[in-house]
Amino acid sequence: MKALGIIFANIYESSLGGLTNKRTLASLPYGGRYRQIDFTLSNLSNSGIRHIGIIAKYNYQSLMHHIGSGQEWNLEMEEGGLEYLTPFATGHVGSYRGKLEALNSAMDFLQFAQEEYVVLADSSVVCNIDLGKVLQAHVESGKDVTVVVKDGVANGVKQLDLGIRLDPDNRVVDLAVDYCAGPEYVASMGMFVMRRDMLIHYVKESVARSRYRFERDFLLKQFGDRNITVGVYPFAGVALFNESTLEYYQNNLALMDAGVRHGLFRDGRTIYTRVRDRVPTTYGVDAQIDDCIVADGCRLEGKAEHSVFFRQVKLEEGARVKDCVIMNDCVVGQGAELYCVILDKDVVVRPGVRLIGTPENPIMVKRGDVV
Amino acid sequence: MYFPKKRCIAMLLAGGQGSRLKVLTENTAKPAVPFGGKYRIIDFPLSNCVNSGIDTVGILTQYQPLELNEYIGNGQPWGLNKSHCCAQVLPPYERHDKKSGWYKGTANAIYQNLQFIERFDPEYVLILSGDHIYKMDYAAMIAFHERTGADCTIAVRTVPLEEASRFGIMNTLEDGTIYEFEEKPKHPKSTNASMGIYVFNWKILREFLIADEEDPNSSNDFGKNIIPGLLNAGHKLMAYAFEGYWKDVGTIDSLWEANMDLLGTSPAFDIRGDESQKISARNNALPSSYIAREAETVNCFIAEGGEIYGTVRHSIISTGCTVGIGAVVEDSVIMPNVTIAPGAIIRNAIIGENCVVSTGAVVGGAFAPGAKRQISVLGKNETLPENAVVTPGEVR
Repeated sequence: MKALGIIFANIYESSLGGLTNKRTLASLPYGGRYRQIDFTLSNLSNSGIRHIGIIAKYNYQSLMHHIGSGQEWNLEMEEGGLEYLTPFATGHVGSYRGKLEALNSAMDFLQFAQEEYVVLADSSVVCNIDLGKVLQAHVESGKDVTVVVKDGVANGVKQLDLGIRLDPDNRVVDLAVDYCAGPEYVASMGMFVMRRDMLIHYVKESVARSRYRFERDFLLKQFGDRNITVGVYPFAGVALFNESTLEYYQNNLALMDAGVRHGLFRDGRTIYTRVRDRVPTTYGVDAQIDDCIVADGCRLEGKAEHSVFFRQVKLEEGARVKDCVIMNDCVVGQGAELYCVILDKDVVVRPGVRLIGTPENPIMVKRGDVV
Repeated sequence: MYFPKKRCIAMLLAGGQGSRLKVLTENTAKPAVPFGGKYRIIDFPLSNCVNSGIDTVGILTQYQPLELNEYIGNGQPWGLNKSHCCAQVLPPYERHDKKSGWYKGTANAIYQNLQFIERFDPEYVLILSGDHIYKMDYAAMIAFHERTGADCTIAVRTVPLEEASRFGIMNTLEDGTIYEFEEKPKHPKSTNASMGIYVFNWKILREFLIADEEDPNSSNDFGKNIIPGLLNAGHKLMAYAFEGYWKDVGTIDSLWEANMDLLGTSPAFDIRGDESQKISARNNALPSSYIAREAETVNCFIAEGGEIYGTVRHSIISTGCTVGIGAVVEDSVIMPNVTIAPGAIIRNAIIGENCVVSTGAVVGGAFAPGAKRQISVLGKNETLPENAVVTPGEVR
């Protein structure tokens, strides 16, 4: 039972605002030393899925820089391994509108592959999942498509890409796209398993009729027309949906919870990332660090509480940081005070500056800004 | 295969037991001993080579090499896995004429690998050892060697006169020409201690290695035989003075001290420093560390994958360690993947890799200012039971 992996790198970028101005969602830094796609790549690789196409539409320079040959994820292979499927790379079409058109432009990749199954994954959901089990469950279920789902996400407010209502036996009763479904729905985690030949068939069939969205124009339509059967794989572990700036902020701070942290990182399957090989973090003589996630290479001299520090952050003497997400290579100057702030990479906060956001509305400082 | 000619290659002597590190090297070669939170001792000479433009390194292993071999791997963390360069592990081997076997001494180890060196037809061979913590630009030393027209250049540093009898001492003329070498002299005439770093003209070294091998009375050692041999034969030997930080971490005390030298506002050894002298290491994929609300982390290094709930002062916490609530770690070196249970107390100690220190256990103790510090050591993979006590200076 072999499967091909396909990762969609550009999803939800409009709702993440400044965070995805100069990068794909997939390369958005998360949790101190990761990028979103590290979870997807590690999940695939750890499950033995090591022939992977990454579909990236724009802004993919930082993504390609991060992943390189895929060596860190054990994806540098004689055969298989990683392929970047970017617009114009295939000479087939220019840019594309939705996942179906993107898959259509990667048709050669799909057709030349030998694997019987395909695992499709967005990179917006952070989780540590055994996709081998999902694949096995899919095959055993006899369904045409299996959607990995999470309960407890739908709350009537959050708009789901794909919400699914199940009967007591976990059979799919209703599919809904772009819908603020209530708690009776489970949320798609953007991971799908199906046969490769069936995917190729429906991609061609849909694109020929100018249908381009995977969830709406393939799943919902063909399920509604009773052409395909759809099953679900309920995921019991930690799944964090980073689909808006606020979710991104909250999901970083969620790592202070041991259950979340251990669910993502101590589940027996390693999450790999590109190694930067920095020195260990130095805690200064007057440092006071409470309830924080700290990556390597930082130099912390000030005070911090309930915050995430990415690599190589400098927190100078007398600086105070609370409820913040501070990406790599930022400098928080002497005596500066930050509450509920997201600093993108390479931000310099000058000494004495105060930035105060709220938990519902954190202040977002753009990459490279000096404030 | 085609081997391009190299101006200089390095031979790194990594086969020693390091018996003065006691339990820490019981199952591990000294160069593979963890250092500074995420490094191993061998990272320093290897990174120095790469930073000095030396891209071919032969690593001579002998004692307990499993971990060391695993760590070096294909040399990728140091960028030594390209088609034109290598980090080649060179173990002892059997030969048809039985003129081989265990490396008898440092010089014999190089002699047994003449074939490796000759592939690259080098002008110079740099001899290094795997038990020192320092950052050094070997390129500057090689340039000095070339400029002075020496046949052999030996890096030296000034040591206090009272310590000089522990070292190989180079007695030199004003311009650095060595006229006499004394191994551990009782009455040292100078304070130029050899750092065990040599640059040789390969042709001359080759000749002396072959001659040394034929001498049944030789101990086949660089310090005892090769260097005196070159001096007696009238070759030009130069001392190259090195001013930077350098520490032989061959003893428990010096290993502890070198770790502590990384700490403080202006550390004695700044491992961050300049990117051009970056020390690289093999990294494991571990998550960021978590520092709990109850934790106190002051004047310390904490590497990746830590979960810190207790107090850490003036200490090195390596990758993947847990410090439980109410536990205290002071003036100590905690090697990778150690679990320190709630309420355990560790002072002035080195805790080996993968150890578990159970609840209420006490390792080491505090020292009055001025009193001699005694370092307690827990060897690799030890589990210290609940409420157990390891007294100051005890090694187990």
